[in-house]
Amino acid sequence: MSEPSTSEPGTYELAAGSAVGLSGRDGPVASRGLPEALLVRNALWFCRRRWVIIGILLAFGGLSYVPGLFAHVGWRPDRLWPLVVAAVLAVDNTAFRWHARRLAAGKGGAGARSNLWAQIVSDLVVLTVVVHFTGSLETHIPFAYLLHIVLACIFFSRPASLVVLGLACALYTGCVLVEWAGLVEPTGVYADDVLRRQLLDRPRLLATNVISAQAMWLVVWYLASRLSAMVRARDDELAEANRRLSQSLRERAEHMLRTTHELKAPFASIDANVQLLLKGHCGDLPDEAVEVLGRIQARSRRLAVEIQEMLQLANLRSASDQPPPPARLDLADVVTACLDQLDPSARKRGIVVEKQIAAAPVVGVEDHLRMLLGNVLANAVAYSEPGGRVRATCSPLPEGGARVTVRDDGIGIPADKLPHIFDEYYRTDEAVRHNRESSGLGLAIVRHVAREGGVRVAVTSRPGAGTTFDMHFPPRPPMGREARP
Amino acid sequence: MANLMIVDDDADFAGAAAKVLQAAGHDVRMELDTAAALARMEQAPPDLVILDVMFPEDNAAGFELARHMRREGSPLAQVPILMLTAINVKFPLGFGSQDIDDIWLPVDDFLEKPVDLDALQQKVTAMLAPP
Repeated sequence: MSEPSTSEPGTYELAAGSAVGLSGRDGPVASRGLPEALLVRNALWFCRRRWVIIGILLAFGGLSYVPGLFAHVGWRPDRLWPLVVAAVLAVDNTAFRWHARRLAAGKGGAGARSNLWAQIVSDLVVLTVVVHFTGSLETHIPFAYLLHIVLACIFFSRPASLVVLGLACALYTGCVLVEWAGLVEPTGVYADDVLRRQLLDRPRLLATNVISAQAMWLVVWYLASRLSAMVRARDDELAEANRRLSQSLRERAEHMLRTTHELKAPFASIDANVQLLLKGHCGDLPDEAVEVLGRIQARSRRLAVEIQEMLQLANLRSASDQPPPPARLDLADVVTACLDQLDPSARKRGIVVEKQIAAAPVVGVEDHLRMLLGNVLANAVAYSEPGGRVRATCSPLPEGGARVTVRDDGIGIPADKLPHIFDEYYRTDEAVRHNRESSGLGLAIVRHVAREGGVRVAVTSRPGAGTTFDMHFPPRPPMGREARP
Repeated sequence: MANLMIVDDDADFAGAAAKVLQAAGHDVRMELDTAAALARMEQAPPDLVILDVMFPEDNAAGFELARHMRREGSPLAQVPILMLTAINVKFPLGFGSQDIDDIWLPVDDFLEKPVDLDALQQKVTAMLAPP
């Protein structure tokens, strides 16, 4: 229940209209990172990929124990460091994965970004060790830094990925400087160290080599971060468009509900007050007044039904691009519910309704199927002669889906008019003479629902002998609509 | 004779329904919004509540009031509720008798507007009858 209102003054300011379009590619969206849930998924993905690297290091370390294997291609790798690095990475990875799984389970708060930062920084440090032992100058191993630079472009904002680039440059430059200064003995996998010594002995060449490699990293960072920002901006646009679409659907449903209520409620009031007069609650009325009130009541009820049908049709039309989700249901239940609803009017006119209903599971939108079957059955009763007979059957089809037939022995429809009966507001002269209450929208609603739900409807009729509606319902609606469980 | 309360924002409809039920010998109170209805009910619980679904401030205020009455420990938990709605079963808020359960829609019965006043009177009599 809402809180009772108080007499204190309140202030409310209407929010400024959002004139923001769906663009903004170069705007703030480009500098935003990914949402937390996606970062957690990325952190776990990163951990899975690291096991592959650990496997490669273990294989490399293991194979180095095979005599002569690497010597054949001119390599002479240290046997120990790949195994040590693999062990360190395995420990790191276990910790990162444990933390990321806690985050995925919602136990670790908003720590995905920290997890990814820790993974990248730790990897860069470990990679620098690998670069040192593989050969920081004479091999292409320094380009392995690009992997983390590009991943940072994907995971983080452009400024953050630039920090990763800076860190990679600093670590690599530091590694080379330490080797060049002799603080650490230069080493590598190549058996011949001529190339390494030549570079170390020529500082300008060494600097050019290191700087040109890092300049290339900078170019790759620029392109990757730019592309990533564009993709992210597009994702944001799609997410925003999706949010607006969902909101608009909610608003439309709300609007339809409120409109229906606002239009129908006055008729309920008119009807109730006419009943008061007709039933003598306000005193006796002359016969003529009773007759006039009867006409008022009949017209107001007809108008209420017409308004409802117009709204239903409008709702069906506007919902065509985004129909309600279908659900699994038994068509027999829907047919039975429609027949129950129709029972009072059939009894009133002395029309016998025979039914032969068997369970027929289908996937569909229940409200729509009710509209379709309700209208077909209502027509069968409405266009039967008093004392007539309406027969309804429902059965499952061997190939899946269901068949519903509705047969009456009423006034029938001339053959030349059959193609028009599903048109909006179309009514045959015979139908108008027989039943003045119809809006001419019932079968238009049937057509819309049938088209949306892939229902085949065949009508057979003979004037004076009756009409048969034969409907084949597919086991599931046309492609692109998921069923609710 | 029973004490009935009609909670409906449409005074014309509520007045007509009240007149018929008064003619049947019941004492009928009318409330046009759910907050006022709840306040009056808590002072003097009625024998039966006839409740509309949609109110100007809230499309589901009738549901909310019904759930509030049925909450655990409420002195109104046993008061029968007959719900009225102008929304046809074919619309998204539509519900059928199979939907009347203690959790989703805690009411005892419902009628669709426009209401046949004789049917309303019969429902009320049936709901007030001892089980």
